[in-house]
Amino acid sequence: MHIMEGFLPPVHAAVWGLASLPFLVMGARSVARVTREHPRAKLLLASAGAFAFVLSALKIPSVTGSCSHPTGTGLGAILFGPAVMAVLGAIVLLFQALLLAHGGLTTLGANIFSMAIAGPWVAYGVFRLARTLGGPLALGVFLAAALGNLATYLVTSVQLALAFPDPVSGFLGAVTKFGSVFALTQIPLAIIEGLLTVLVVNLLIQFSRDDLDELAFAPGVVR
Amino acid sequence: MLAIDRHAWTNRWRRHHPGEHLLLAGGGLVLALTLPPLTAGPLLCLLMAGATVVGAAVPMRAFLGVMALPTGFMLTSAPFLALSLDLRDGLHLSCSPAGATLALEVTLRSLGALSCLAFLALTTPVAELVPWLRRLGVPAAVVEIALLIYRLIFIFAERALAGQQAQAARQGYSTRPRSLKSLGLLIATLFQRALERARRLEVGLAARGYVGELRVLTPERPLSRRRLAGIGGLLLAVALGSVLLDRGLA
Repeated sequence: MHIMEGFLPPVHAAVWGLASLPFLVMGARSVARVTREHPRAKLLLASAGAFAFVLSALKIPSVTGSCSHPTGTGLGAILFGPAVMAVLGAIVLLFQALLLAHGGLTTLGANIFSMAIAGPWVAYGVFRLARTLGGPLALGVFLAAALGNLATYLVTSVQLALAFPDPVSGFLGAVTKFGSVFALTQIPLAIIEGLLTVLVVNLLIQFSRDDLDELAFAPGVVR
Repeated sequence: MLAIDRHAWTNRWRRHHPGEHLLLAGGGLVLALTLPPLTAGPLLCLLMAGATVVGAAVPMRAFLGVMALPTGFMLTSAPFLALSLDLRDGLHLSCSPAGATLALEVTLRSLGALSCLAFLALTTPVAELVPWLRRLGVPAAVVEIALLIYRLIFIFAERALAGQQAQAARQGYSTRPRSLKSLGLLIATLFQRALERARRLEVGLAARGYVGELRVLTPERPLSRRRLAGIGGLLLAVALGSVLLDRGLA
C-alpha cells in the first residue's frame, strides 16, 4: 500500500528519503555502468520498468472481496536483481504518483524504501537462501515473492508507527495497530502473489529461455 | 486509466514553462507540511482547485476524481490515529480527544498536499517534468530510461487491458483458481512482449545510428516573470492567511 501524499510529517518524509538515497545511488551507478557497456540494456531496462508499472494496474482476485494489485517486487528482484530494482522501482513509484495519484511526492522516499528497496532485497535474499539450501526453484520463487510482499507491508506499518506512535502504548502499540489492519488483507494477498509469481516464472522458463538469457547483465538469479 | 495524462497534455496551461507549475506545486507541498494543517490544508485545496479548474481549465470532475483516489488509504489509516491501543493488561482500544485531533490534522495535511500533487499531475505532462531530474543530480542514463518508460507505459497498458478483456471474454476469470492462472499467463506474455518490444526498438534505433544516447526536441518555453511573481504572491498569501487564521482559531 502506498503511503499517500502529505501523510508523513516533514522530518519523517525527509529521513526516509535520505535512507533510500544510498540504495538509489548504488542502483543508478550500476544502471549507468550496465548501459555504458551494453547500450541496448537501456531499452531492456525501460521495457522492464514499463512492465512493472503496468503490473500495478492489473487487478488480482482477492479473498476479502476488495481488489488488489500485484506488487511485482519479487518478480523484479528475481529477474533483475535488487540493485537495479531500486532504480526501476523509484521511477515507477514517481510515475504512479504523477500519473495515477498513488502515493505522493513528499512520501516518495518512504514508499521507495518499502517497495523498491526492502521488498526486493528481502525477496532476493530469501530466494538465494532457499536455493543455497537446496530448495526447489518453485519454493524459492514462492517464498521470495510472498515474503517480499509481506516485508513491504511490514516496513510500511513500521514507517506509519514511527510517525504516529500510540499515545498510550507508544511505538509497539502503533505497529500492532497498523500491522494488524494490513495483515488481515495482506497475508492472503502475499500468498496469492507468491503463487502468481511461481506461475509466471514457470511459464518464462518454459517458453522464454532465450529472453531470460538476454538479462545476463543483471545479477538476476533465475538461470 | 490514464485520464490524468490526457488532461496534462490538453489543459490551458500546457504551454507554460514546467518550472512555474513546479514552483506552485512544490511551494504548496512545503507549506502543506510546515504550516498549521487545520487552516493551511483547506486553503491549499482551494488555491489548487482554483488554479487547476479556473486557471488551467481542467474539468472540476477530474480534479475531484484525483482527490478521491487515496480515500481507501485514508479510511484504513486515519481512524487508527484516533484510536489508541493499550497493551498492558489485555487489549484495550480507546478513543482520545488528542488522537482525534491528530487524525483530523493528518487528514487535512494530506488533503492539502494531495491537492498540490493533483494540480501538478493534471497540468504538467510527465515528459516535461522528467528532464528536471537531471538538475537533482540523477544520471543521464537513468533520466533517459525514465523517459522511455513513460513512452512505453501506454503501449503496454493497452496490451495488458486488451489481453485481460480477451481472457475475461473466454471465461478466464470465472473461478478463482482460473483467474490466478489467467493472470499468470497474461503477465508472462506481457513480459515476453516487453522484451520483444525492446529488441525491435533496438533494431529500429540501430538503423538510425543509435550509439547509446536518445535526443528529443523539447520545445522552448520561456519562464514568465509575471507568472512567477504571481505564484510567489499566492503562496505567500496562503502562508499568511493560514497563520493568521490559526491564531484566530486558537
